[in-house]
Parts: sequence; C-alpha cells; structure tokens
Amino acid sequence: MRSKQLGTIGYYGLLIILALICLGPIILMLTTSLKLKTQIFDDSFSFFFMPTLTNYVAVFQDERLGRDLSNSLIVGLVSTVITLTLGCMAAYALVRFRFMGRDAVSITTLLLRMVPPAVLVVPVFMIWTYDLSLTNTLTGVIIIYVALNLPFVIWILQSFIEQVPPALEEAARMDGANPFQVFFLVVLPLIRPGLAAAAIFTFRIAWNEFILALVLTNRVTRTIPVKVSLFITEHNIEWGQIMAIGTLIAIPPLVFTFVASKQIITGLTAGAVKG
Amino acid sequence: MERAPRGRVGASPAATFHIDPGRTDTFVRGDRSVAQIVLQEIVKQYGSLTVIDHLNLTMEDNEFTVLVGPSGCGKSTTLRMVAGLEDVTEGEIFIDGKAVTHLDPKDRDVAMVFQDYALYPHMNVARNMSFALRLAHYPKAEIDKRVREVAGTLGIEDLLHRKPRELSGGQRQRVAMGRALVRDASTFLFDEPLSNLDAKLRTQMRAELALMRQRLNKNMIYVTHDQVEAMTLGDRIVVMHEGYIQQQGSPEELFKRPANKFVAGFIGSPAMNFLDGQVSEEGGHPMVKGAGFSFRLPETRREALAGRGNPKVTVGIRPSVFVPAEEGADAVNLIRLPALVSEYIGAHSVLIADCGGTQVTVEIDSETPIAVGQELSFTIDPGTIHLFDTESEESI
Repeated sequence: MRSKQLGTIGYYGLLIILALICLGPIILMLTTSLKLKTQIFDDSFSFFFMPTLTNYVAVFQDERLGRDLSNSLIVGLVSTVITLTLGCMAAYALVRFRFMGRDAVSITTLLLRMVPPAVLVVPVFMIWTYDLSLTNTLTGVIIIYVALNLPFVIWILQSFIEQVPPALEEAARMDGANPFQVFFLVVLPLIRPGLAAAAIFTFRIAWNEFILALVLTNRVTRTIPVKVSLFITEHNIEWGQIMAIGTLIAIPPLVFTFVASKQIITGLTAGAVKG
Repeated sequence: MERAPRGRVGASPAATFHIDPGRTDTFVRGDRSVAQIVLQEIVKQYGSLTVIDHLNLTMEDNEFTVLVGPSGCGKSTTLRMVAGLEDVTEGEIFIDGKAVTHLDPKDRDVAMVFQDYALYPHMNVARNMSFALRLAHYPKAEIDKRVREVAGTLGIEDLLHRKPRELSGGQRQRVAMGRALVRDASTFLFDEPLSNLDAKLRTQMRAELALMRQRLNKNMIYVTHDQVEAMTLGDRIVVMHEGYIQQQGSPEELFKRPANKFVAGFIGSPAMNFLDGQVSEEGGHPMVKGAGFSFRLPETRREALAGRGNPKVTVGIRPSVFVPAEEGADAVNLIRLPALVSEYIGAHSVLIADCGGTQVTVEIDSETPIAVGQELSFTIDPGTIHLFDTESEESI
C-alpha cells in the first residue's frame, strides 16, 4: 500500500516536472513581454513586477504588422488546404489501388520528409529564382510548404484510410456512386480525425517555418516568423517586443488546434460492419 | 400471390438457350421466355489460381436462386461478379438480356445486401437507406415516401434517426436490407446476410425473408453456407464445390435425388450416412450388403446396376428414413443398431449408433429418451437408399 502511494507521488512529480519543462519557456515569454527593458536585464530575479503593455503597443504601432500577419495566414491556410486535398487523394490511391511501384512510392514519400529544410534552402532558392521566378511571391512559399508537408500528410492519412472497411466502398458502388462520390461522400467523412490531425500539423509547420520564408520573401511578402527576426538589429535586440510578438503569433495556431482537435474523435467507423 | 415458376433442373443449363444470330446481346430460351440472369462460361482467376472454372448458370425470371456450398467454393465470388465488384476473367454475364460483364455496378440495376452490413457509419438510418436515391437525384418527397414505406415493412420506422452504432445486430441487418429494398432494382443479391446473427434471430429473419421474397417479384440471388437457409428460401438451389456447380434444382430434387455424394452429404440435416457396401444378386433380387447391414434394393435399380463391373458402392441413408421395427419383421431390410450416444431433443431423438464399425446417425420420433447401449431394430424403405460410385462419387 505504502509503495503504491509512493509510486503515485513519483508519477505526479514526474508529470509536474514535464509540465514545467513545457510551460517554462511560454511563461518566460509571457512575463518578458510584459516587462520594460530595464526589468528584463535586471539581474535580481523576481516573480513580482509591475506589468506593462509598452512592448505590445510598440508592436501594434508598426503599420506593417497587419500585412505580415495576413501573409502568414494566407500562406498557412492555403498551403494547409492544398496539402490536405492532394494528400488525401494520394493516400487513397496508395492504399486502395494496385499499381506498379506502389510500395516504393509509399516509402519514398516518407524519405523526402527526412530531408531537413535547411538543406533545401540553396537549391530551392536557385530554382525558385532562376527557373520559376517565384521568389518574393506568396505562391512560391506556399508551393514549398505544400511539398514539405505532403509526405507526412500522405503517410498519416494512409493509416486512417486503411481503417475504412472496403465493404463500405463496395456498398456505395452498388448504390450507384462513381469513384469520386465514393471518395467524397463515404471515405472522406470517415477519415475526418486524420484530416484534422494532418491539418494541425500542416498549419503549424507553415505558420512557424522561418528559414525558407526568410530566403524566399521580401519586405512585402514576408511572414511573421521573418518579421520577428527583424527585431534583432546590429545596434539592439528588442527582447520585450520579440516576446510580445512571439506571444501574439502563438495565438492563431492555438485557436486552430482547439478547433481542429474537436474533430479528432475515435470510433467513427463503429457500427459500419460486424466488428 | 403468384409464385415464380420453379427452375427446371438440367445437367448443363447452357444447352437450354441459343444465341439469336441477329442480336448478340439477347438470349432467347427454347420456350421463348427470356432468362433474367445468365452466366455463360464464367472463369475467374486470381493470378494462376482458378477459383471458378467455366461456370454456366441460367436463372429464370423472378426466381429466388440460392448458391450454397462450403467456404471457398466460389459462391461469393460468383455473386460479386454478378454485382460487378469482381472482374470476370472469361465469359459473359447477362441480366435482363443485357450483357453487363464489363459494366460498373451502378449500371447493372442490382442491389446488394452485404454479410457484415456495410452501413455508412456517419449517416443515420434514413440517410443510409436513401443514399442510392439521393445519388440518383430522386425528388425529396419521393425519397421520403419510399424510405418510410420500406422502413414500415421492416419495422424500423422508429430507428430512422439513429446512427448505425446505436443499433443492435438484428436492427443493422434490417437497415442493410432496407437500403437495398428502397432501390427497387431488378435484381437483389444477398451475400450471407444472416450469418452474423444469433440462431434465434436468424430463424426469425429467415422467415421474414421468405415473406419478403413472396411480396417482391424480383430476381434474387442468395449466397449462404447454411443448407437450411438454402432449403427454406430457394426456388432453385445451386450447390457449388471447389469452383464447380455440383447440382442445381429445387430443394426437393436436391434432397431426394442428389447427383453425387457431395450434394447428398451437404443437403439435409443431420447429414446423410455413408456406408461401404457391395451389390449382389440374391434370390432374384438386387441386394446391397456391408458390415452390419443387408438391404434388398428396388427392382428399378437393377438396370442401373447391371452395367457396372465393380460391385463396390457407397450406400447413402438419410437419418430420417430409419423406421423403428417390430420384433420379427422382414429380416432382409431389418438393421440392428446399438445406440452409442442419444441426444433427446423432445419431439425427436438423434442417435449415434454403431453399424459394423461405422457410426451412423439416426433420427427417430421419440416419446421416451433412449438409453445408451440399448440395441434398436429399424427397417428401411428400399426406395430411400442412395447408391454412389466409390470412385467417381456420382449417384448410381
């Protein structure tokens, strides 16, 4: 009995430590964003200080913030929609259709995911600039984000599609559905949890990605992560403002995740076929 | 209600139709009535494995055909080829005189009930049932009317707004049937629809299916491995084994005149007893004898037995033909069997008895349970004895 109590205490202790590791940087970001520069560089640490919104006011006074924010939203949402649309169809084909090289394609999609974006920077910049003239456009950023996210989305959706009983698709075919109707009316509603998980993943990557966006955008098309880096200048590092904008840009992915995670429910195919 | 004509039995149904030279897509039967579903020289291969080998089958207009056989006999594959869910390697399929071999399922005007229900889990019962009609752009009022009508006949009106996961197995099966019925298709296909239900529910649904098939005059093909379902539902039963049709005909024909040992053993419950025997001539009568038995055969058998060189045969006796004998009855067709196991089921008993070292099943009416070890005497009507060739297993 005693050892069981100790075990419970140890278990919760571990959870608290893990929670602190996760929350620590966020708390630090939040408190720093509410401090003045002098307070930030004050060596004596204190939990209690007079919060100020000075940093937020300074961030909001920048008239380019709205444009950068909308760039990020456009890039994030459009690349998510395109990735999911292409990804679910590709995953369906890989799961359900028998064709030559199917397994090879299935594995190579995941291999592509293992290439770090930093490796892609130079070749992508060259191709986007000299072959496609896509640098400094949102289209160029969207395309590379779609390419970056597609392998993982295909991979994750494959496992969801495999769980849809083939008998359901046969029933739909017997009911007079063409292949597109089978896919959109029967398969797609049943892989909603997979689409939601993939959407969260895709949007978060596209929203946060820095290095490719830095190289591929200019002052008009730059996204929020690039904007943050501009607070580091040769004279100064505006920690307060960096933390303020950091807090702000954490909000849209949070909202997106909460909305999308409502779709992640289990047992969607319950009752379809005899288990 | 007028019943569809019972199917004629024929060794090769392909012989009963010919192709009209003017129209390659239409079959005209010898009696000028158009067969509704014709499978002609169907071959199905998976790679080098042949699962159906040159199958010919003709189903009459509005006939309830049951494909029955053990698992792996090709019955479900045959059904799925008619549905259009499986490609046909060779041969042609005609429905309503129209060649449908290479048509999509949606263009064949067939509805199907699946073994494991296959209900759309994200739609409620009403939407499950109306899915096909919605795809075909029926007016909403018409869809509602049809769904309500069919739900009424199936007793599921109260469930229309439930999701499949909120239904019991029996209710799901009804919805699956309802989904096929609202379509008013020319042909209905059933792929072992009752095999996932418990015994009591299965009996009840079987009775309802029998009622339904009388009400609907449609082509129906029903696949099952349960010979009781086949016997009770079918106008025509097609017994399949290892990709070949063993025999087809009415339930009565299959039960009384099985074409071979496989059909004889498969149709009828409890299964037919098989004993090794030898035919001979004794006192001017054809006889069959074996370990523990000696039966006089009817004179009508003489001709069939005459041309055979080999006297060895397999004797088939149904458990239900054993008649308890009075002491001192005709000694020739008398058989004495010590009971090994007795299963008392109330109205009748099923005995397992020993006949010269072979176990035989005997079904008798019984008021009182029978003690194990008790020796019982039975007589057997010679006309009910089946004989099969020991090698070809064909009926003699």
